[in-house]
Amino acid sequence: MWEQILVNGLISGGKYALLAMGFALIYGVARIMNLSHTAYYMLAAYLIYYLNQSLAVPLPLAYLLAILVVLVIGVTTYHYLVAPVREQFTAVLIVTLVMAIVVQEIIFIFFGGHFRSLPPLIPGTTTLAGIKITYQHLLTLATVLVTLTGIWLLLFKTRLGIAIRAMAMDREVANLMGMPESRIALVTVAISVGLAAISGAMVAPLLILDPLMWMHPLVVVMAAVILGGLGSIKGSILGAFILAFAEIMLVFTLPKLAYLRGSVSMAVMLAVLLIRPEGLFGIFMEGER
Amino acid sequence: MKMFRRYKTLAVITILVLMVSLGLAGCGGKQEAQAPKEQAPLKGDPIKVAIIGPMTFIHGEHMWKSATMAMEEINAAGGVKVGNQSRPVEIVKVDTNEMTNIPDAATAVERVANSVDFFLGGFRTEAVLGMQDVIMDYKKVFISTGVGHPNLTKKVKDNYDRYKYYFRTNPMNSNDMARASFLILAEVASVVKTDLGIEKPKVAIMAESAVWTDPIVAASQQQIPAMGMEVAGVWRPSAVATDVTAELSAIRASGAHIILTFMSGPVGGVFARQYEELKIPAAATGINVDAQGGKFWQVTGGKGNYVSTLNLLGRAALSPKAIPFYDKFVARYGEIPVYTAATYDALYMLVEAIERAGSIDADAVVKELEKTDYAAIGGRLVFTENHDVTWGPKHVTGLGTQWSEGKLNVFWPNGWEGIKHEGTARFVLPPWMIEHWKK
Amino acid sequence: MFPYLIRKLFRDFQGEILALPTRTIVFLACIGLLILPLFTKNPYLLRVLTLTGIFAIYAASWDLLAGITGQVSFGHALFFGVAAYTSALLNLHLGLPPVLTIPLGALAAVVAGLVLGLPGLRLKGPYFSLASLALPTIMMGLVFTFPQFTGGELGISGITRLSTSRIGEYYIILIMTMGLALAMWKMATSKTGLIFHAIREDEIAVRASGLNTSRYKMLAFCTSGLFAGLAGGLYAHFMRVVGPSTLEIVMSLQIVVWTIFGGIATIYGPIIGVFILFPMMEYLRVVAELRMLIFAAIVVITLRLMPEGLTTWVQDLLERECPRCKERNAFTRANCRVCGTGLDPGPNTNIWKRGA
Repeated sequence: MWEQILVNGLISGGKYALLAMGFALIYGVARIMNLSHTAYYMLAAYLIYYLNQSLAVPLPLAYLLAILVVLVIGVTTYHYLVAPVREQFTAVLIVTLVMAIVVQEIIFIFFGGHFRSLPPLIPGTTTLAGIKITYQHLLTLATVLVTLTGIWLLLFKTRLGIAIRAMAMDREVANLMGMPESRIALVTVAISVGLAAISGAMVAPLLILDPLMWMHPLVVVMAAVILGGLGSIKGSILGAFILAFAEIMLVFTLPKLAYLRGSVSMAVMLAVLLIRPEGLFGIFMEGER
Repeated sequence: MKMFRRYKTLAVITILVLMVSLGLAGCGGKQEAQAPKEQAPLKGDPIKVAIIGPMTFIHGEHMWKSATMAMEEINAAGGVKVGNQSRPVEIVKVDTNEMTNIPDAATAVERVANSVDFFLGGFRTEAVLGMQDVIMDYKKVFISTGVGHPNLTKKVKDNYDRYKYYFRTNPMNSNDMARASFLILAEVASVVKTDLGIEKPKVAIMAESAVWTDPIVAASQQQIPAMGMEVAGVWRPSAVATDVTAELSAIRASGAHIILTFMSGPVGGVFARQYEELKIPAAATGINVDAQGGKFWQVTGGKGNYVSTLNLLGRAALSPKAIPFYDKFVARYGEIPVYTAATYDALYMLVEAIERAGSIDADAVVKELEKTDYAAIGGRLVFTENHDVTWGPKHVTGLGTQWSEGKLNVFWPNGWEGIKHEGTARFVLPPWMIEHWKK
Repeated sequence: MFPYLIRKLFRDFQGEILALPTRTIVFLACIGLLILPLFTKNPYLLRVLTLTGIFAIYAASWDLLAGITGQVSFGHALFFGVAAYTSALLNLHLGLPPVLTIPLGALAAVVAGLVLGLPGLRLKGPYFSLASLALPTIMMGLVFTFPQFTGGELGISGITRLSTSRIGEYYIILIMTMGLALAMWKMATSKTGLIFHAIREDEIAVRASGLNTSRYKMLAFCTSGLFAGLAGGLYAHFMRVVGPSTLEIVMSLQIVVWTIFGGIATIYGPIIGVFILFPMMEYLRVVAELRMLIFAAIVVITLRLMPEGLTTWVQDLLERECPRCKERNAFTRANCRVCGTGLDPGPNTNIWKRGA
């Protein structure tokens, strides 16, 4: 049973981690709580569906196109709608939330509430440590690793990365040091939306698509990010895996209570926060407002 | 520069507004085009029937589509004879939005309550409970065609004067569904026993966490040993779970031969798809509402072969009307009807009752509806004293259907109580299952 | 004695309500709502307005906690759901009348307020906001774990009606809404309210002034729970079905939209926001497919033009604040009505003004 938990937990944690990373990044750098984050994830999945099933674009190309389109949409909406109200926490909340609803409604109009699904990029299954899993699951896991490495390289080995990290640590001082605050924020938004789109693309063939599919992951992602500590990328990844393992453990140890997945991961998050109010790797932003 | 920026913002907003109003205009035009065209030759005021359901979801859509078919047929045949005049039927689409917003549903119903004469539809139990009360306040007839909870009809018995206007034509209540699904389980088990030579098959129960499944799960745990089988375990995912890989891996590890599902939410589609992708060596049967038709084949991306479920409609001669309706629906909409398409019957039954009563007065129609004995597309329909569907060999029984390459085959009843419809095929075990257990 | 009271009342009315255009508008709107049933008895319209009233109380209670005290909770549905379930269960199993079940339900919500206060005292800012998402979800898990008690996804039905007629329900809820709104507004402008505001602005400074901020925050959680709970109880008896939908995330998030649209940290903002947005959503049913989209467009555009919310914008348009005594004056006045200081004559609102 333990190998089952391990493999399933890794897969499920990988999905959450991809989403959580983008959410954490944009919050850390630009202090934007982007409630439309998972809406971009859903949008990417639906775009792939549309391109592949209706326009018969080959799958790999559809992936690329969808990620690009979502990137453009994300950056544009940020520039015109979010950036002007960035300084107000509540205004950002409402604008991003409303954007998510807009995406949901547009999908309702074009696709209806029907459930849909996508063919996997690589069909078939393999056996890993005695457990059968699909190639798509493995591919997702690989994407998570590649993306994580990519982001790590970007953050730690490039000038831009240093600027982003500086911004995440202390916006005012970084700005005083001559870093172009708003431009870096824009780049970070692009990276974050891109991550959402990539996870949408990877996860889409594993799931059933429906216009409300953004809500549950949003809650999990927010929980993961907060658990890991706001502003900390590694914290958000760890948080995602902790929640995923908590959920999978529940399914395997108490199958009759499998539906309590969401509640259990929320309880874990709350328990950790009550012990460590700033999350696992968070920093207290006492001076900030 | 500042002026310019101001102008830009203004432009963006203007464009947004324009887009919205364009969309509005387009939508308005579409709705008018939907108005029934058969109305012209008929005299008398139309009888207005509201079709209430989640219209952006498949179940609401099929209510509307099947009701449209019935309306067109009735009007083409001369409308409804009320007294000495022929009145056309007019259906009114009411999107209850009940999947996302419960207070919305009852409000949507109340909005039209004074302008329509009858109500058909309703899907999500929590929403129907609210809508039922509103419609009863107005003393109008409500025939529900989407929910199976016994409590809804129990109210008719407990408080007849208030709830007598409520009827259910479809589906049968969930207690009867449980009975039918055990019969289907027995059929599947016999195939497993004879084909694979397994003496005592193990059954994994996979039921979404919901009130309607709780008594069924409890009953299954007693029934299965009594039927000479063994329970391998019980898994209860959420009705809206998007991933059941973990549950399926655990079921594989438990060595189950049959998975008995009880699912009505989207988890059913997820299950079907991951079941084939992961090649779980067990036969899937029970109740899986997602797999009853509609876009199931597209939803699962062509996965979902060999998944079977209790069904209420199918291409089987349950009554003379059944196969023609099924073919007509598939030809017209390119989709296999899901069970809410039995709204078709409900409209016919309503019209019959109105004609017999000779008026559209609710109390008179209720009296006539109670006497209904109608050959519906799902079988012969007679109401119980609770205004519920009578289940049994000579009445509505349900069907066992199994997916095979995009088609839905009927495999039950297969000789049960001497019933076997034409075109019934034997239950097929998935090849990967045979391969797994034969060695 | 009696003539004196009437004169005082009239003077207060003149000085407190008629002197300010916004209050006059609100006053007229209240009168309008109260005499509405004289003109129409359309049950659909009354139903919409009744629900609007319930959600207005609910939204204002969120504002008390999030706007005034600065504890931006995303789990406010906890209060609403707990109270609705408690009222429903007490009514159904013990047969208590609504007069008792609604306050008892609200009491249960106060207890829930204590529970939410636990992370509320320990967690700061966005940490609290996100952590508060957890409680309704956990509660929802409990609802599904004890279906024999809560009815699971089916909910509890068969609850007593608030009043036998729609008009009765309308008046009960409308008067409750007005009374509770006034109570919340009075609280927000009282001395305690001032401390709440101060906690939002700078908690450490408040603590340094020798005030027990934990106690005040707990008070804010409990009173907010009380008001949200009253709304929940009214909802239970009005809808007559209470299900898990009362705990859904949508329930927690829509009040955020209403409140910020109307103007946060004002109490009247969310109420006016609900009274505009909720009936508008109903009106938009004529374009069923597009209604959420239009709703979203209206909210975004409004916020783009009026970042502080609708009511604040209207107030700035119609009233001037005296630079010396901070008393508000109608835009028509050249001098402050209290201290006579000259008021800035120019239009003080630029609708293109970006956030404060």
